[in-house]
Amino acid sequence: MTITVYSTRRIITMNPNRPFATHVAVRDGRILGAGSLEELKGWGKVELDSRFADKVVLPGFVEGHSHAFEGGVWKFPYVGYFDRTNPDGSRAPGLKSIDEVVAALSAHEKTLPKGASLLAWGFDPIYFGGRRMDLADVDKISTDRAVVIIHSNFHVANANTAVLAKAGITRTTNVHGIVKDAKGEPTGELQEMAAKYMAYRAAGVEIAAVLSDEQAVWRFARVAQLAGVTTATDLHNELPDSTVDGYLKATASDDFPIRLLPAFAATAISPAEGVPRLQALVKRNNEKLRFQLVKIVTDGSIQGLSARMRWPGYYDGTPNGVWNVGPDDLDRVLLAYHREGFQVHIHTNGDEASEVGIEAVERALAVAPRWDHRHTLQHAQMADAGQFRRMKALGMCANLFANHLYYWGDVHYAKTLGPERAERMDACATALATGVPFAIHCDAPVTPIGPLFTAWCAVNRLTASGRTLGEAEKIPVAEALRAITLGAAYTLKLDEELGSIDVGKRADFAILDDDPLLVPPEKLKDIGVWGTVLGGKVFEAPRR
Amino acid sequence: MTDPVPFTVIGGFLGAGKTTLLNRLLRDAGRRRFAVLVNDFGALDIDGGLVAAHDGDTVALANGCLCCTIGDSLVTTLLGLLERPERFDHIVVEASGVADPGRIADLAVLEPRLVRDGVVVVVDAVDVRERASDRRLRDTVMRQLQAADLLLLNKIDLAVDLAAVRCWISMQTAAPLLESKHADVPLDLLFGLDRAGGSSDESSAEAFASWSYEWSEPVERDALLAMLREARGGVLRAKGIVRFADSADRRSVVHLVGGRLDVSDQGPWGDTAGSRLVMLGLRPMLGSLPRETTT
Repeated sequence: MTITVYSTRRIITMNPNRPFATHVAVRDGRILGAGSLEELKGWGKVELDSRFADKVVLPGFVEGHSHAFEGGVWKFPYVGYFDRTNPDGSRAPGLKSIDEVVAALSAHEKTLPKGASLLAWGFDPIYFGGRRMDLADVDKISTDRAVVIIHSNFHVANANTAVLAKAGITRTTNVHGIVKDAKGEPTGELQEMAAKYMAYRAAGVEIAAVLSDEQAVWRFARVAQLAGVTTATDLHNELPDSTVDGYLKATASDDFPIRLLPAFAATAISPAEGVPRLQALVKRNNEKLRFQLVKIVTDGSIQGLSARMRWPGYYDGTPNGVWNVGPDDLDRVLLAYHREGFQVHIHTNGDEASEVGIEAVERALAVAPRWDHRHTLQHAQMADAGQFRRMKALGMCANLFANHLYYWGDVHYAKTLGPERAERMDACATALATGVPFAIHCDAPVTPIGPLFTAWCAVNRLTASGRTLGEAEKIPVAEALRAITLGAAYTLKLDEELGSIDVGKRADFAILDDDPLLVPPEKLKDIGVWGTVLGGKVFEAPRR
Repeated sequence: MTDPVPFTVIGGFLGAGKTTLLNRLLRDAGRRRFAVLVNDFGALDIDGGLVAAHDGDTVALANGCLCCTIGDSLVTTLLGLLERPERFDHIVVEASGVADPGRIADLAVLEPRLVRDGVVVVVDAVDVRERASDRRLRDTVMRQLQAADLLLLNKIDLAVDLAAVRCWISMQTAAPLLESKHADVPLDLLFGLDRAGGSSDESSAEAFASWSYEWSEPVERDALLAMLREARGGVLRAKGIVRFADSADRRSVVHLVGGRLDVSDQGPWGDTAGSRLVMLGLRPMLGSLPRETTT
């Protein structure tokens, strides 16, 4: 049994007994110890590996809220405003105007077979000074094949005339979500159900399978690994057999670079069927695949104006959002999985949704008391101090959507929440102060996966326009690093197994070019990720 | 292209009686082939002897009906259904307890293979007002009531203050109201007569009446539509192919479900015989129609 000792510039362990070290010893995919070379030699004959001698090593990053769908969408061209990393490690450059998007897709169109639809994703017009994409733009790409450009929020899309004509959409079509211009003509912009329906119609139903097949999960794993992630969730999946098979196959490979935790979409079928199904899936777990999480989505999104808000509601007066799963169903489904010992992750964006989530857990505990359930509010973007105190009292965790501060902070400030609530959204400092165990997340593909960037958001709270959104909710770098490692592991009940560099834990590391505790906090997101180590196996990221 | 399939959405809160209604529909479908998209198979009371095939997400019944579970995405479930080789006479979607059924009905407007039929919202006479007073649910209840073309006030046998409930509902929405125990209503009122014009539901035929009109000459548009508007609440369904005087060379299709009246153009009149209109309503209500204005 070989003992490999890695020498490093510095190891940040997240183990308070020994917060820093220079060397880490690995045997059988697990950590034998972190300390000095002399200390580690006490374990026996070691092989010294100096390839990380100038690197800084952290516990592998844990992304507590992402979707393998991120790997699915990379099958299609990315047309977002911000640069984004491809699964192959190359940069997909951000497109800075509607004309750039049209030019890129016109070039792509020429590579497609006759009759195929053109789908693209990641488009975000909020940075284009108010100009919206319209039919004239999209028709420049093609007038005969169906073209659908999905926005970064995945709730809005732009289509071309071919798509509208096929569906018979005209100025007289009176349907929610068909955007019309001042003259009453459809602009090709489609929202919510209309957007989703037309995208699936154009793509064909089989697209749903393509978006979470074995290849998709490989692409997802690669994108995650490039960002230093060693454990990632696929936090809402119905887990049809085809997906489960793909996940089992992918994770059986030595080269698969992450540990994957799918969360079972609990409301897709009744708990009477769902509980035994999940129990059966748990038996198929392997070193890199863990079925154990349950997900329930209560409300919509804040930027989509579909989050459930408490009084006084949206800053711009938009009526309250919608329930996907209302209070009654949440109680019923949560209790069913709670009773069986599962940990439930509850999507709650608005503060009314958080309230309903907290109360559902409270009721479940009254009926079926349970210790260390760690039911987690996912997003909890508007949770206030009082709600954090209730979460603490009930033994709940929070996973806060720090990336929102950057990507939509300006919109929240001006339109959805208003200044006061925008400044206290994604309240990491309040979570710390109240003692609620918390993680921070990206929700990929809604925003790109990149825990260092997510940590940078929680530390600096800067919006895309450069506004500081809530000085008082900033957290120190060390706390942000904990949130993307051990903190996130705790919210997934994996903290005894990974999340810190400590004797007996899995040898999962993020290998960084620089020291996140020594660079200026505003540079945190710019630290290069050399690669990762997963269970002792080294995964070097392709050089950029 | 085949005729578009009528598309009906059943909305209403958890426990209002949507599943009871769907069970009734599947049992009494008669000659009509319904495809029913539901949230949970388990809740349906499907007699094992009637199941012709079961493959996980769908159950095919011996009477030609099909049930599909919606799972995580109504959009993909519906598209999958439309790709199947079988043709159905009517597609019915059970909306989730908190969904806005009007938004779901929009799918039929976006999909040329479907035609929007109606939104039926089942209301629990016992607790609807209590739900509506919960600040977290009030707007959801109101959206459902306002999206309804036709309301089914269910569990009237259990309500202690039925008159007050009726009065409260009438203040929230103008949609006509049917009342029921155990969701027992004439199915034809909710889903129309079958293509042959016959009722699928012999037992309930006594409860309602159908009237049909024929005109050999073109019909005055305003007079006909005014008659139908006035009759709303009494006439719960109407379907007609009409030659209006102001567009005598066109086939106009008149379609009324509950409070919703649509007139659409279906191309040139051709050489069909006269205009024809069939109306369905509850017997006592239909009797009061001002028939002289229409004949």
